[in-house]
Amino acid sequence: MPAYHSIFLNDQDVRVLGNFALLPLRTRTRGPAYTLPPLPSGTSELDIDGNDESYDPLDEILSLFRANTFFRNFEIKGPADRLLIYGILFVSECLGKVKATMGRKEAEKALLNTALDQFAIPGDASFPLNQAFEAPRDRQDAETLRQYLSQVRQELAMRLLARIYADGPMPSKASQF
Amino acid sequence: MANQTPAVVMDNGTGFSKLGFAGNDSPSFVFPTAIATKGGVGGAGGSGSGRPAVANKPSFLTGGAGGSNLSAKRGTEDLDFFIGDEALTAATGPGYGIHYPVRHGQVENWDHMERFWSNSIFKYLRVEPEDHYFLLTEPPLNPPENRENTAEIMFESFNCAGLYIAVQAVLALAASWTSSKVSDRSLTGIVVDSGDGVTHVIPVAEGYVIGSSIKSIPIAGRDITYFVQSLLRDRGEPDSSLKTAERVKEEYCYVCPDMVKEFAKFDKEPNRFLKHTVTQPNGKTSTVDVGYERFLAPEIFFNPEIWSSDFLTPLPTVVDGVIQQSPIDVRRGLYKNIVLSGGSTLYRDFGRRLQRDIKHMVDDRIRASEARSGGARSGGLEVQVISHKRQRHGPWFGGSLLGQTPEFRSYCHTKAEYDEIGPSIVRRFALLGGPGST
Repeated sequence: MPAYHSIFLNDQDVRVLGNFALLPLRTRTRGPAYTLPPLPSGTSELDIDGNDESYDPLDEILSLFRANTFFRNFEIKGPADRLLIYGILFVSECLGKVKATMGRKEAEKALLNTALDQFAIPGDASFPLNQAFEAPRDRQDAETLRQYLSQVRQELAMRLLARIYADGPMPSKASQF
Repeated sequence: MANQTPAVVMDNGTGFSKLGFAGNDSPSFVFPTAIATKGGVGGAGGSGSGRPAVANKPSFLTGGAGGSNLSAKRGTEDLDFFIGDEALTAATGPGYGIHYPVRHGQVENWDHMERFWSNSIFKYLRVEPEDHYFLLTEPPLNPPENRENTAEIMFESFNCAGLYIAVQAVLALAASWTSSKVSDRSLTGIVVDSGDGVTHVIPVAEGYVIGSSIKSIPIAGRDITYFVQSLLRDRGEPDSSLKTAERVKEEYCYVCPDMVKEFAKFDKEPNRFLKHTVTQPNGKTSTVDVGYERFLAPEIFFNPEIWSSDFLTPLPTVVDGVIQQSPIDVRRGLYKNIVLSGGSTLYRDFGRRLQRDIKHMVDDRIRASEARSGGARSGGLEVQVISHKRQRHGPWFGGSLLGQTPEFRSYCHTKAEYDEIGPSIVRRFALLGGPGST
């Protein structure tokens, strides 16, 4: 059985830039992404599954992260998988920044800095996975993609933080990946 | 009557030897197939070199060929050796070197094996070989010359009353008859035998091994232990020795239906995280957290990618491939009777997961061929993985089961027959437990 793929691969009419999917997100950060309704109060993001209307690719990234990091090979089956890859790589970058001795405030700062940092988008010379990703067609597309990725990074950083510090002021050992 | 003595069942595996009497529930002795001899030929390298030990080269400094040659030492030194756990203990002290006479299931050093057997019989089992019939095991594809060597030792050195040599996979099939799922006692089935070093998938049709389609997988118990150890190390646990990893593996691991769902379950139910307390020999204790490795460790059978970079075929695919390579008229029987054997198949739900994965593959193929045929319906195919209580010492238990049957002795070759015909007599054995016998 190969690695896990995105369940959004079969979604129709998704906006695609280059070959990167711009899937709707559940976020309050402003940007080009179509916003999904927030979670109903009382449910945690751990409880929802792929059928929920609020389930977004970022939930998927966080749940598949631990399993997929074990795999050495990954066959990209579509634009949604590229978002999954990007997210997983970003999560591992974030985890590298958080140290076991960091308090929540400190870690939040470190992660937000990482998320807001200057970053490369597909097509840039410094982007690491240019074989797998296509560059956007023109400058306007590039700008949209950058904004979308920025949204992804910020939201992902916040959700990751919530998971690591789920029980207590110090990173919980259970969620050390 | 001397004829009423129970048969002796000996299963000498690469890692462990199982000794006991036919009719018993479990082997009387289980110890490493290791022998420690004086002089330390092979010495520390013996465990990994893969070569049979050879006598020391004559050293010209100590006075020529006679000095340290093994044949010149045929005196009391020859009797100075230990086997099993004692051998391991002796090898830690000075003067003894450890040897493993069985490699990859086959006997490599007959001199050591003979001494190993003599100690097994006289020191551990304490029987008179003249009074007992012996049931020995051999791996599939064992060359007949090895059988002859075995017979020579058993009949000429030990003078045993009778001998039967059975293939381990066939015995493992016989052991599965104890499971309630088995309705007909057929000797057709596929044995998934996973020990410490290697995992074999062996198809057996009516008591005969289909040698051309045997497959082996370089992933087995030891790899799981290493994998658990690497996970413990990554997390920086206070104790991550191989021994701890092994304990964790044996006590806590199980097979999960789906990795991602299992991670989510762990998130929701923190009580799935366990603690394991290690007591060191000096009395100190330390606590090790046991987390995801509970289900990740056996997962390397189903997703080898997460552990090894050169072997990537999951176990269910291998089993399916082996069956597809077998003759078409036995495939149905093979799918119906997939028998587990060996210590690394003891994880909870191992059989269920294997069955599910193979079933998925088979059903997909049936659907595809139905679609291609344009309207033909398939009757479906039954896939059944059999796991039973005797899995750990499967081949031994199968031997015990068959060795106690009244007709067992008629299948053996006796000392008299051996004297009449010679070692080549053991090239053929009548099929024990096959069609014709009850």
